[in-house]
Amino acid sequence: MNKAVKKSKTLRRRAFILGMSKSLITGIVISKLYYLQILQKSKYGKLSESNKTKIKILYPERGTILDLYDKPIASNQIDYQLNILKEKKKFIGQTIQKLESIIKFSKFDLDQVKLNLRDENLSDFITIKKNLTMDELELFELMSNQFPYLLITKEKVRHYNHDENFSHVLGYVGYKKINKNKKLANLKIGISGVEKNLDDQLVGTDGWVKLEANSRGIIKKEIVRKNPIPGKNIKTNLILDIQSKAMEELKKVNGAAVILDCQTGGVNCLASSPSFNNNEFSNGVSNQKWNQLLNHEFNPLLNRSIAGLYSPGSTYKLITALFAIEKMKLNIHKEINCTGSLQFGNRRFHCWKKEGHGKVNLLGAIQKSCDCYFYNLAKSIDIDDLSLFSKQFSYGIKSNIDIPNELGGIMPNRSWKKLNRKERWHRGETLNTVIGQGYVLSTPLQITLMTARIATGRKIFPSILKVKNKEFQRMNLSDKALNYIRKSMYSVVNDFDGTAFKSRLSSNYKMAGKTGTSQVRKISMEERESGVLKNDEIDYKLRDHSVFTAYAPYNNPKFAVTIIAEHMGSGSKVAAPIAKRILEFSLKNYLNYV
Amino acid sequence: MSEILIQFKKLNWLLVFLISFLSFVGLVMIYSATYGDDDRVFISHFSKICLGLLIMIAVSLTDLNFIKKHAYLFYLIGIILLILATFYGIVGKGSRRWLNLGGFVFQPSELIKILVIITLAKFFDEKKLQSAGDYIFLILPIFLILSPFFLILVQPDLGTAMVVLLLGLIIFFISGISWKFFGVLSLFFIFSAPYIWGSLKEYQQKRILTLFDPESDPLGSGYHIIQSQIAVGSGGIFGKGWTKGSQSHLDFLPEKHTDFIFSMLGEEFGFLGTISVIGLICLITYLTYSIASKSFSDNFNKMVGYGIISNYFFVSMINMSMVIGILPVVGLPLPLVSYGGSSMISYFIGFGIILSIDRSMRN
Repeated sequence: MNKAVKKSKTLRRRAFILGMSKSLITGIVISKLYYLQILQKSKYGKLSESNKTKIKILYPERGTILDLYDKPIASNQIDYQLNILKEKKKFIGQTIQKLESIIKFSKFDLDQVKLNLRDENLSDFITIKKNLTMDELELFELMSNQFPYLLITKEKVRHYNHDENFSHVLGYVGYKKINKNKKLANLKIGISGVEKNLDDQLVGTDGWVKLEANSRGIIKKEIVRKNPIPGKNIKTNLILDIQSKAMEELKKVNGAAVILDCQTGGVNCLASSPSFNNNEFSNGVSNQKWNQLLNHEFNPLLNRSIAGLYSPGSTYKLITALFAIEKMKLNIHKEINCTGSLQFGNRRFHCWKKEGHGKVNLLGAIQKSCDCYFYNLAKSIDIDDLSLFSKQFSYGIKSNIDIPNELGGIMPNRSWKKLNRKERWHRGETLNTVIGQGYVLSTPLQITLMTARIATGRKIFPSILKVKNKEFQRMNLSDKALNYIRKSMYSVVNDFDGTAFKSRLSSNYKMAGKTGTSQVRKISMEERESGVLKNDEIDYKLRDHSVFTAYAPYNNPKFAVTIIAEHMGSGSKVAAPIAKRILEFSLKNYLNYV
Repeated sequence: MSEILIQFKKLNWLLVFLISFLSFVGLVMIYSATYGDDDRVFISHFSKICLGLLIMIAVSLTDLNFIKKHAYLFYLIGIILLILATFYGIVGKGSRRWLNLGGFVFQPSELIKILVIITLAKFFDEKKLQSAGDYIFLILPIFLILSPFFLILVQPDLGTAMVVLLLGLIIFFISGISWKFFGVLSLFFIFSAPYIWGSLKEYQQKRILTLFDPESDPLGSGYHIIQSQIAVGSGGIFGKGWTKGSQSHLDFLPEKHTDFIFSMLGEEFGFLGTISVIGLICLITYLTYSIASKSFSDNFNKMVGYGIISNYFFVSMINMSMVIGILPVVGLPLPLVSYGGSSMISYFIGFGIILSIDRSMRN
């Protein structure tokens, strides 16, 4: 019995120890729970939240760019894109391998994937393929259950509706090189043209969507969404049909065509040839393509209409003539005998017409583009005065058109020469300047502005964006002088012996214009002196540019136009006929006064 | 018949209520775990609870002396079933531990735990160990423990095997075997530890190593334990709400209706939920403890009582410890809460025995 009691006591003592150890274990478990659920709640709460929520950035749809008649010239098209959950990115290689049987990955695509992988942004998705075709999309849908962590999204990407026609003026979109806004690494912004200048309005505001996904990456539901705000639609002064017509006309030549609305300053056409396809830029352009464009013989990336610099040639004579009437009180009836050349100092200056024009007054000199008449005027012109006078026609000054990369050209004077050529001004150079050769350089847009300002007598400024019509300031020029110049421009086109008579309009409307020949090389001056070479006898690249500027209708100016056809010789031969065809088209279809 | 009714009325209904309530908690959690999925798991679990409660009542009405008398026979049957399961059983989750007996699939290793307790209790009740020389008798009980231990180990089911070993040691301990024995055992264990480590399968080693540094392999062996801790931790004080646990319902939490059900409880009901369930487990443990210790007349009853409650308590604690990252993941369910028939029914049988002990004291 004693033994039994003892055993029972032992048993009770041991059971007590057992009970104590159980309490200890319970204590440990509760402490850990307290640690996890109370002390570390916020840490684990966040982890659980980031486990399940996936953020997808929603890119805004870019605003549409419209022409003056509300036709879209840059819109957006649907692009199906394939995205992978960022946390599954180690499977990218293997996934692409598996998908290769149904989806074509080009080298360019693969390079883009590598770039996207490096991007650090808030999005939990990485785009691995853009531009999925309908076939690829269908095949993928069939296999999609094998890739729960892949997501097809429908994006809207920039599309230019008219191939190459608007590439220079509209520009294109692309990714920012240095992206301060990491969240929107995939956002396309305007890189040039209208796209760049009006990017703020076109770009819109991004949104995002929070999705709930399970551990395999399958999206279960949408938690919350902030929709992106699409960019604003932009209305421009461009006219689709006129621009297309101009591009059509410039197809075979390198050059530019600019058409301004003389009433509003609206740019109806801003064409440059050769062009490039800006749609290729919209999806990111390959290095190969880029280099090809950069090294192209004729530089298709250059917007010739605002950044191509040409001697204005004889079109500049209009300014010289105005200057002579306004500032030199020239007797407009005074005649000068053109013998085909003129001696000035120790140099002989030639007229383009070897045998000379005979007796010409100012109107005749403009009409027939007689050089000798202007050489004669130049003898008493101070270059600084002429330079200053020219500036009110935008020579040597940027017009501040609302797209980037415009050049201002050169309107030389004494201080310009000292600064840039380290030489004093020679009076002989004034003779070259008055006929638009020598140092003076201008863009097709500047020449058009000159024409529009002469046609209206107002200081017109160009704008691509359609804005409220504004009254342009009157120029400080007499009506008498302006009318005289207009009349002489009229006779250039409509009088039998005008240089552009062949290009007169066949409709009821009359145009007034001026031809020009823009010399390409300095030496051609000397060649001119020593007896002229015919244009077709020299290298293409050394041939003169063909220039023509005009406005129409004569009695109520609407369109001011300038055509430059590179290396095509005199203005009457190529530029004037192109201008005639474009103007006839424009007058027929778009002569709507404000 | 009226005798049975009288005995029925004598049952400890508080304990029955607490056990049923804990099963109900399990049912609620399994409803959530299978929410939106097919409901067969829920229905199956519900019917198993009903079956288990019936078995528990039936066991509670049997005479414990009958069990004591035939303890070795039961043990032998248990071992035979275990052998069949280990070598001819159904393979599932990478181990061979289930036996199909006429359409009823069960796991003999769950039953053997209770049989080991009963057999050892009978042995130590009959054999009185006083002097050092008596240790020779320990060969039999050690054999009784090690044979099921190894049979379960080769299935392989490390968790259950360790529990069998633990229960054997607990019976040894409360039966009054001297501290020296445990001292020697500890030394033996320390020296053999490297060999035991070497004999473990690679994935088992990994699980143990993961415990110390789960972040070392967050998507591999550490994944489950990290996700489980996130689930529990993110529950906070009040939890995310029933069926609202994102970790559980978006499949970040593995095995949410079986081994990791406690994590889901932690996620959906928070600290209040986990602490309440622990409270319930402790209350059940305390009640059975007091039943066992009150049974002063009979050492067999006492040892069986302590053994069974230790089985219940330690498995519960091991399960909770493993899902919150205190112990390595060894694959033990949370008794009476996790989905899984054999395990649950064997605990109901255990509690039936406790109820029987309690009833016998009132007689």
